[in-house]
Amino acid sequence: MDDLLVDFITETRETLETLSSEIVAWESSPSDRTRLDSIFRFVHTVKGSCGFLNLPRLEKLSHAAEDVLADCRAERRKPDAALVTAVLLVIDRISEVTNALESGESVPDHDDAVLIAALAPGGGVEVVAVEEEVAPSAVVANTAQKGMSRSIRLPVDLLDRMMAGVSDMVLARNDLSRRLRDSGGEPIIDAAFERLSVCIAEMRDSITRTRMARIENLFSALPRMVRDLTAELGKQVTLEIDGGDVELDREMIEMIRDPLTHIVRNAIDHGIEMPDERLKAGKSPTGRLRVSARQAGNQIVIEAIDDGRGINADKLVEKAIANGMLTEEKAATMSLQNKLHLIFAAGLSTAKAVTSVSGRGVGMDVVRANVERIGGLVDIDSKLGQGLRLSLKVPLTLTIIPALTVSAGGTHFAIPRSAIEELVRVSSGSAHLGELGGAKMVNIRGRRLPVVMLANFLKLNSTCADSELTMVVLKPAGGDHYALAVDAVHDHEELVVKPAAPALMATGIYAGTTLPDNSHPMLLLDPAGIAQSAHIIGEAGNIEDIEPETAIAVDECAPTLLFRDLDGAERAIRLDLVERIEEIPASAVSHIAGRMRVSYDERIIPLMSCGVPSQQDRYRILRMTDGLHSIVYAISEVIDIVAMDFTCERALAPGLIAGVALIDGRPVELIDTFWLFSEAAREAVGPAHPPLCLLTDADDPWSRQVLLPLLRTAGYRVTFSGAEDADDADVAIAIGDGLADLNSESAAVRTIRLSTDPEQQGGDTIYRYDRDALLDALNASAKHKRRAA
Amino acid sequence: MSALYLIVTIAGQRVALPAATVESVVEIDEVEPVPLVASHVAGLFALRSRVMTVIDSNASVGAAPFDRSGHAEAVIVNCDGHGYAILVENVDDVIEPLAGVVQSRAVLSPGWARVALGTIEIDGEALLVVDPEALVSGQQLVAAA
Repeated sequence: MDDLLVDFITETRETLETLSSEIVAWESSPSDRTRLDSIFRFVHTVKGSCGFLNLPRLEKLSHAAEDVLADCRAERRKPDAALVTAVLLVIDRISEVTNALESGESVPDHDDAVLIAALAPGGGVEVVAVEEEVAPSAVVANTAQKGMSRSIRLPVDLLDRMMAGVSDMVLARNDLSRRLRDSGGEPIIDAAFERLSVCIAEMRDSITRTRMARIENLFSALPRMVRDLTAELGKQVTLEIDGGDVELDREMIEMIRDPLTHIVRNAIDHGIEMPDERLKAGKSPTGRLRVSARQAGNQIVIEAIDDGRGINADKLVEKAIANGMLTEEKAATMSLQNKLHLIFAAGLSTAKAVTSVSGRGVGMDVVRANVERIGGLVDIDSKLGQGLRLSLKVPLTLTIIPALTVSAGGTHFAIPRSAIEELVRVSSGSAHLGELGGAKMVNIRGRRLPVVMLANFLKLNSTCADSELTMVVLKPAGGDHYALAVDAVHDHEELVVKPAAPALMATGIYAGTTLPDNSHPMLLLDPAGIAQSAHIIGEAGNIEDIEPETAIAVDECAPTLLFRDLDGAERAIRLDLVERIEEIPASAVSHIAGRMRVSYDERIIPLMSCGVPSQQDRYRILRMTDGLHSIVYAISEVIDIVAMDFTCERALAPGLIAGVALIDGRPVELIDTFWLFSEAAREAVGPAHPPLCLLTDADDPWSRQVLLPLLRTAGYRVTFSGAEDADDADVAIAIGDGLADLNSESAAVRTIRLSTDPEQQGGDTIYRYDRDALLDALNASAKHKRRAA
Repeated sequence: MSALYLIVTIAGQRVALPAATVESVVEIDEVEPVPLVASHVAGLFALRSRVMTVIDSNASVGAAPFDRSGHAEAVIVNCDGHGYAILVENVDDVIEPLAGVVQSRAVLSPGWARVALGTIEIDGEALLVVDPEALVSGQQLVAAA
């Protein structure tokens, strides 16, 4: 909560700083619509934030100013000098109170009412008197008196310069590396150079990280906001948050904060209905709001989905026509999607009533403006009566993405690795290039794909013969497969991608620019954009024809990662299982609870390996997931990625190695990923239905404190006599002489008696510290019960 | 009104760029072409570790594009967080005019009118003040907006 307040204060003050010139300008020309809009947005934002931070005084002030400004926007009132002055005084007061909030002082509030009254029509007379003491320029003066701040705010510009400096350093390092190689290595220099490289890599990593933050920072404010809003509005909403661990540029997070707040507020205020209304509509009285973030290619997608009433597109159109924003003829030709997009036009809202939360038709235009300013997109999808989905797609600036470099017509391009499915050379014989009605098609192992000839597509001159081409099979996020024909494939590289200039982005086929080690700028291609602009048609229509073939093709030949294992052997693993290849500090690895584990992303993941990683500072790992569990596998180094046919000589016994295959004439062991996952999951998985063990003496402290933990670890569920599920017990344990009441409980269950005296063993009685005997007896009894059942 | 101006030559005309917007002047040689992009974008150029979008100022004001052979001088500006290298025919001098910018009364050709902020007078010569942002955005984008 404290953090939120600090955020609010900083944010308000920053906006005031930028707004101060606008305010002065507005004073000189009160009819200036854009100035009016930006001042209006400011008070609207302040009002909204005050609402959930519980700052009634500021809320009252901003609400009053907002009302007046809304009237001006709707042209119900003309902004005259008296009104402008009154609004300015209110903004000054907001700034004073904000400063006072931070320093903990108090500002006398006896004349707040006077300020608010001055906003009313004809209230200007009183203001003239007040104006003497607080001139508009006081806004600037006040903001200068800042109190103590508890954190350092760095200009992003400075971070950018640091990042650029490090990038320069990397380039210089690469240059040096080339020269060292050319001049023939001298071991001493090489070792020093190696150290330098490690330092630079670490520095680059940490500087990159200074800019990244988990989106959690953004999401953490939501539960409180939702709670307060629902309480105020009398609605019931459950909020689900997902994907808080997605990392995003800090600056981006700040830019999305306001839009997301607006979206969530709108969803609760307008989207989700009152409980009785929901019941009438046949929905559960509690509305659902789901906010999630995920990474999709080079974008972060943040979605807010509610199950409320959705947007009535026709009402929106009616309103737009009434406002004169749209003509009826034009409206008739609009698609549903275009109609929905009207919500982003300034000054339009479908809400019938203006509430204190939202409904003035601001918000959505601000949302779009903010998101588009950072090169993002807002998308809307609504089903009337069923809900609304708003997605913000924002680019990942300054991200390092694995990419493949290719060339066409002498120019190099990068393609995001995430979109590439496989590479096939036409000359290898497994791909046949043909034509179909003038369009190129390629047949790769029986699977026909449309082809985009990159050189032709980009209007470059390529001298490359068709038979020399390489097909890059692409599966863009949210699109369909196609093959991109390139002249040559060069390398896998990790590239720092930056957004390209707007003129370049306007082509729709580039995702960003990057500067590889050779210091020739390169463009990152956008596979989805290329498909769209080359008019590749989706494969949905003929999916049935090709699907079985595809399945076989995938089965026979899959991209495979060749790597050198810790014991020096060359091994292979299917690439699609590998989520990431990365380096972790050795300090993250420890031998705890019986096996090697890695603490990673605040989780503990089993570390598998064929040996103990040699004592280094950093381990290289493959992170894999089977959808439920993650494991990491320590390796020595990555060798290559190849398309490999998975027919191999089976291994003699099940184990880490599934078999051995020939790759380029060398025998390579294949990792048995099934075994790997089953091995990692062994501890996690107990019997499907753990047997229930009944403890007859619920009050015995020894049973609760000593016996119960042992039973739980051994995989039993535990209950006590008298509990509801006591009758379902598979086995019972009685302590000491508790025989009498036992028989009455359940005769079908075998009972083990524990004695405190080692001498009293025999029959069903076991000494209570004889662990083996006890577990054996439990096991036997549980099996007996199961057979009986 | 004593702002500084950088005098450069674009499409055969001497024009003034507000010096406050100019980061530096560099000589560039190799420009990586960008296919399928608007004609005023000449390509990409690496200024140390930054990737600059190279703008053909001649094309941007509607004149014949630069003949791209050999070295050329470029003015580095930053617009909306993106770095641009604006190719110019010649870089002359930085001057401080005696008077401020005045609206030009001449009827400019559409290409020039789009980028002109006004005129300043230097040594009895009237020079157009050109907005680097307008040069960078090019004609197509303005038409679309």
